Amino acid sequence: MTLLLDMVTTAAILFIVAAGLLAIFGVLKIINFAHGAWLTIGAYCAVATAGLGLNPWAALPIAFAVGAILGGITELVIVRPLYRRPLDAILATWGLGIVIGQLITLWFGRDVQFTPNLLSGTVDVFGVGYSLYRLCAVAAALVIGLAFTFLLEGTRLGLSAQAVIMNETLARALGIDTARVRLATFMVGTGLAALAGVLLTPLTSVDPNMGVAWLIGSFMLVMVAGSSFSTLAIACLVFGGTQVLVSTFVSPIFGGITVAVLCALVLRISPKGFARA
Amino acid sequence: MPESRSIPPRVWILAALALAVAVVVIIGPALFDRFTLNVLTRSMIYAMLAVTVDILWGYTGILTFGQAAFFGAGAYASAMVLSHLGATPAMLALALALAILVPMLLGAFVGWLSFGHGSTPLYATVISLVVPIVVTQLVFSGGVWTGSSSGLVGYSGLPLGLQGYFRLTGICLIITTVIALVFTRSDDGKLLVAIRDNEARCAYLGLDPQRLKIALTTILAGVAGIAGFLYANASGVVAPESTGFVFGTEIVIWTALGGRGTIIGPVMGAIGIDYLSAQLSGDLPFLWNLVVGALFVVMIILLPNGLAQLAGMVLPRRHGEQASQAGSPGLAAEAAGNGAENGNRVLAVSGLGKSFGSLQVLQGIDLDVRPGELVSLVGPNGAGKTTLMRCLSDGTEATTGRVSIAGQDISGMTPDEIVALGVGRKFQVASVFDSLTVADCLRLARASRKAPSLLRRSATLGLPAAAADILRSTGLDGMLGRPVSLLSHGQKQSLELAMVVALEPKLILLDEPTAGLTKVERTTIGATLQKLTGELGFAAILVEHDLDFVRDISTRIVVLHQGKLVLDGSVDQVVNSEMVRTIYSGGAHA
Repeated sequence: MTLLLDMVTTAAILFIVAAGLLAIFGVLKIINFAHGAWLTIGAYCAVATAGLGLNPWAALPIAFAVGAILGGITELVIVRPLYRRPLDAILATWGLGIVIGQLITLWFGRDVQFTPNLLSGTVDVFGVGYSLYRLCAVAAALVIGLAFTFLLEGTRLGLSAQAVIMNETLARALGIDTARVRLATFMVGTGLAALAGVLLTPLTSVDPNMGVAWLIGSFMLVMVAGSSFSTLAIACLVFGGTQVLVSTFVSPIFGGITVAVLCALVLRISPKGFARA
Repeated sequence: MPESRSIPPRVWILAALALAVAVVVIIGPALFDRFTLNVLTRSMIYAMLAVTVDILWGYTGILTFGQAAFFGAGAYASAMVLSHLGATPAMLALALALAILVPMLLGAFVGWLSFGHGSTPLYATVISLVVPIVVTQLVFSGGVWTGSSSGLVGYSGLPLGLQGYFRLTGICLIITTVIALVFTRSDDGKLLVAIRDNEARCAYLGLDPQRLKIALTTILAGVAGIAGFLYANASGVVAPESTGFVFGTEIVIWTALGGRGTIIGPVMGAIGIDYLSAQLSGDLPFLWNLVVGALFVVMIILLPNGLAQLAGMVLPRRHGEQASQAGSPGLAAEAAGNGAENGNRVLAVSGLGKSFGSLQVLQGIDLDVRPGELVSLVGPNGAGKTTLMRCLSDGTEATTGRVSIAGQDISGMTPDEIVALGVGRKFQVASVFDSLTVADCLRLARASRKAPSLLRRSATLGLPAAAADILRSTGLDGMLGRPVSLLSHGQKQSLELAMVVALEPKLILLDEPTAGLTKVERTTIGATLQKLTGELGFAAILVEHDLDFVRDISTRIVVLHQGKLVLDGSVDQVVNSEMVRTIYSGGAHA
């Protein structure tokens, strides 16, 4: 039973972390290698919020705002010239990640930071005590997934974003301000990444390089998922579940590379991943 | 790329440069203190890695983070042999052999994984990210064998001492750099740029870009392994970090900052940055990384070709000279070996069909073409003409039916294999190599028949008479040394046609070769096609919208409408048929 819960909650956490990256990749076809840095920014927002003596939950909106604002600046200055050079965009955002990591180190020091728990304790699920926070992660993942579905299906921005995904030239010809759609998408994606960073704080230690560890896994999941949130959810369930199984029954070390290796193999067999219609 | 064309002066400059650096390397130990020697030894090893990344990324266009994994594999293979088996001469030899073999095997596997038929450049990058992570985790799980997270220390290596290692590394770096320079500037090295520019064209010139990339990955993995061997010996310690993906990104950063695609730039970048990091990281560790990271971002956005590009802007470029006649290679016509086997069918298509999902684009196509025929394929937009051409030149395209070229079934064959059977394809939009010169493009077209030199740059250009004729009639023979990017649209079309003819195909597929050309250029191409088929026995299939043009030059016309072949007959039969008027009425003539 615990195993099953572990599988579901791990998938949920992966989904939360990868969602911001997917939003950007899905619409902009750009891989934001500074994604890890935004997770770190989010986590340090939680640290700063705690330092100011505010309610730990206040970190969530603060992180989203900070992440989105910084993301907006990044899109304008760094990403915009590179839409036609996607491989260079990977490199430039990676470089940005280094810069952000160093700035955080200069500001907060390189030591591990601790944040107050958002939720502590366990609850009984079918007679087994289980971490309340991990269960809440599932709820958070659902909320994010649904919010995105609503954003894409139910709002004007979402409609424009879909148009940009399908045929950017046509979208522009139809009078959609694609530059603004891109800016907005990038801001939502980075805001989400920072939000995910806050949600990660009770699960991992907070240090300037914490994001890198999460980057590759979410990157691979996004490559498999393509541009759809439902395929991302499936990919997270399948690969996250396998990761838990491998960690439990084989070795935690191999568990750590399960997602990356499996995704690479899936992409070799079917270059479009799970996104095939 | 400004570079002299004649061989001797270049070789002299290169030799002089190598000698000068060699002198520095030999007397270096007398000048530097221990710390500097140590750091520079490491920097030079890293510079070797930067050279391999530059060949892969700068020249061939494969962004890779995987060299770190091969480097780490080589270093660990050496260190494990030396720790567990001792450092006798035999074991040192074994360590070196394994340091080359293990990465090469890994490289071959990674290459096979990365470069399948139709895989994207992004996928190769993805794989190159996963490989270092996997290798690092294997090291972590290796227990006493790999020393796990603390690495391996305290083994003895080559009996050289600090100064000896400095000299050995320096010499290895010089050798690597010289080989890389000679290779990338040779005729064979142009292949790398050709792959980066236009992989599809490479495949349709009968070259196998995927196999070339796998070979390249394998060999450069071996070079990274040698660097790993040197590192394991010189530093006396191997740690999981040197196999990791973060280290892989560092190599890319050095390469980018030094200037990709220049070989020398990345060497300077690696040595400069690594040396400065070691000097400065004591005083301002985070600030230094901050500066490097920020510089890297700025560089990628503003100067994608690195500092070398800046140097190129300041120094006078030699483009003018290159465009002139002075250094362009001589044109030598070769005897054509195009034995026209009259009567045998070059192409036989039966029951060919192609569907995308439930959409049937082509169905039940039957078509035979014999040597000497110029068959025009006409039909309104969306009739499936280009799709049919694709099915004829790529054996993985057709959904049903059978296509045979010169009697051989092509189903499942990749474009380069079909080219080997004698098919040349000219694309609708001129598909040439923009970063190369006219002569280089033509030489690549001959590469599948005559392997280009690994070391030299030919002074002459041997072409079949038919291809040379095209060059002469279009005036391209006077611009062999000119970069393709400076050609006009019509000249590019003619160049591509000459490249296709240089393959000496039995069957030429031409997709709207006259689109966007002037009247004069059309007439020239029309005359060339008539000569190729009528006099020289080539067969050709021509997709064309312009019925007047088609009427003048074709021997036969085939009409395609809504995915079906509706008419196949002589020029008069087709042009005067009621059906063609119906299909084309209403101005489907786009």
